[in-house]
Amino acid sequence: MRVNYQVNATPQFRILSDDQCQEICSAAFQVLEDTGFELYSDSKEISNLLSESGALVEGRRIRFPSFVVQKALDTAPEVLTVYGRQGNRATSIEIRPNHICYGLGSGCVQFLDPRTGERREYHREDAATVARVADALPNIDFVQSLGTIHVHPNLVDVYEFAEMIANTDKPIVTYARTLGIVQVIHQIATAVAGGEKEFVKRPNYLVLGSPASPLFAEVEPTKRVVYCARHRIPYISCTAPTCGGTSPATLAGTLVQSTAEVLTELVIAQTANPGAPFLVGGVLSVMDMRSGILSYGAPELSLLCAAFAEISRYLGLPYYSTAGATDSKLVDEQAALEGTFSLLLAGLSGANMIHDTGFLESAIVGSLQYVVMMDEVIGMVKHVLRGIQVTPGSMATDVISRVGPGGQYLTDDHTMEHFRTEFWFPTLLDRKPWEAWKGAGEKSLGKRAQEKLNHILNDHRAPSLPEPTRERIHTILAEAETKAAKR
Amino acid sequence: MSNILVRMSEAVIEGDVDAVVGLTEQALNEGLSPKDILDNGLVSGMDHVGIEFKEGNMFIPEVLLSAKVMHASLDILGPLFAETGTRMVGKVIIGTTQGDLHDIGKNLVGMMMRGAGFEVFDLGTDVAADVFVEAVREKTPDIVGISALLTTTMAGMHDTIEALQEAGLRDQVKVMVGGAPVTSGFAQKIGADGYAPDAPTAVDMAKEFVSA
Repeated sequence: MRVNYQVNATPQFRILSDDQCQEICSAAFQVLEDTGFELYSDSKEISNLLSESGALVEGRRIRFPSFVVQKALDTAPEVLTVYGRQGNRATSIEIRPNHICYGLGSGCVQFLDPRTGERREYHREDAATVARVADALPNIDFVQSLGTIHVHPNLVDVYEFAEMIANTDKPIVTYARTLGIVQVIHQIATAVAGGEKEFVKRPNYLVLGSPASPLFAEVEPTKRVVYCARHRIPYISCTAPTCGGTSPATLAGTLVQSTAEVLTELVIAQTANPGAPFLVGGVLSVMDMRSGILSYGAPELSLLCAAFAEISRYLGLPYYSTAGATDSKLVDEQAALEGTFSLLLAGLSGANMIHDTGFLESAIVGSLQYVVMMDEVIGMVKHVLRGIQVTPGSMATDVISRVGPGGQYLTDDHTMEHFRTEFWFPTLLDRKPWEAWKGAGEKSLGKRAQEKLNHILNDHRAPSLPEPTRERIHTILAEAETKAAKR
Repeated sequence: MSNILVRMSEAVIEGDVDAVVGLTEQALNEGLSPKDILDNGLVSGMDHVGIEFKEGNMFIPEVLLSAKVMHASLDILGPLFAETGTRMVGKVIIGTTQGDLHDIGKNLVGMMMRGAGFEVFDLGTDVAADVFVEAVREKTPDIVGISALLTTTMAGMHDTIEALQEAGLRDQVKVMVGGAPVTSGFAQKIGADGYAPDAPTAVDMAKEFVSA
């Protein structure tokens, strides 16, 4: 029997040591104590809440003694589950250290038409289509709208949410730009979940928010943090600094600032309701110094987001990362390589939820063709992250002996027994010999991805919501529309 | 061209703040007019920076440093323009639209416009339509530039254009818009005079507006 045996169940990946995580967190605590953050405008409600937490409030500048941050870290849960829309377990996401899953992103203003590929404005119906396609893809675990609709500002995220929840069982991550919008979305989500109590037991969506960089917060988004905490809506505090623009040009400096920023929202959330579900989030990248954009394809994005995953784990907080996006204007070679690069690194980093698959043009354009292509990559990534099992059975020395020198394994029982589970099978990537590939139509990956998308668009039906629920949503929307029209 | 002006251009291009102050004083002592110094010492340097930037050979921090150098010289020359009644290339008011706090892009545009010889008044961020209108009334600019990074605040650009219309000021200015979610289609829809996808293009467009 083998003793003193250390096993890697999966590949192992670290960017920062625990000591480095500790250094960064200590520096972040110091920033919060010395510099603090600032509210963009006055708010008695938020100032009072923060004073209550023990923070030092001087006008709009808030500083946090480290015990205040520590208190918040102590009550914040490290583990939570987000369920399918009606509390279903089948599509639930288990959020616990080093458990990964992948999903889409939101906020793009333009959309590649799923059928024609035309670059156009994003419409309300697209949210339904995106949800339906995401519902069909095996490697997409949570859904975001891939866009943003040009409608009344008080309805924009509401329509997207209503369309998505009607077209997928999988958990949804949504923007909710104002307090009013969260309230309407929450009405819809709780209606589908079966009531407020049911929702608290089995939350079916998450709200995506963001502190502003560097180190400031507008009042309305901050009130949204409080609302989510009080209603136990899992809230993602996703900071999006650009190195050299809104955060230090050195990567460690950006990590320190980002940690400080998400901790300010954590304190607010935990003070409002200790134990409220809260995720650290990051779209950390460089400012491209030619174009001024936050680069989604930059290697630094993957490096920073992975390091941030380790810092979150060090602090005992769940983490929402970024991958599967590109700065390319097309679903082309650049898109393929940038998306693959980031999806692999994010998976290795052990981030709990990895978002933004499907983003082209640095988050300006959403593309379902790209999502379909990247879904294939996620499958490959997951297969590699399974690692290699080394057991007497898997080492197969008896088989090696049986087959013998010069033999072949194709007809051996062992091959039959194992190849289906041991190997990864592409659905999109092509391995045919040239003649066969030519005979099949000489198709590129892009073309095959489009065909797969067409099949999904034509054939996939998401399970529909019960009629009373659909009616309830309809009523909620009508009320929201009336209210919006009045303003 | 006189040697001192060439050296000033170089100071701008290389981002040498210390050198430019001395060179400005020296140029004035040599009897060169503030306008000459501006056009052939400073703007010529920034023009080169603009070209290098567009071609991807110079980066944003370097452009901003060059702009800083130019401002250091303008601090000395500015009061002298007023004395001699010299006009700058044009007058621009810029700001980020109401409800939006993003300003890096706007700042870059402002700096590059100054670099091209425009007089720029930056109203900052979260600028309401009536604030734009009041600034136009007060400063009588040639151009109003509005920036937005959020789709939810873009409507504010339309509000500002309408407010200018209502105040009877719309015909006196050219309105340019920009920002990540903004498109030329949107600019047309809201009645703007132009859309620029980046700072160098914004400067070129501004130059066209004032020379028309």
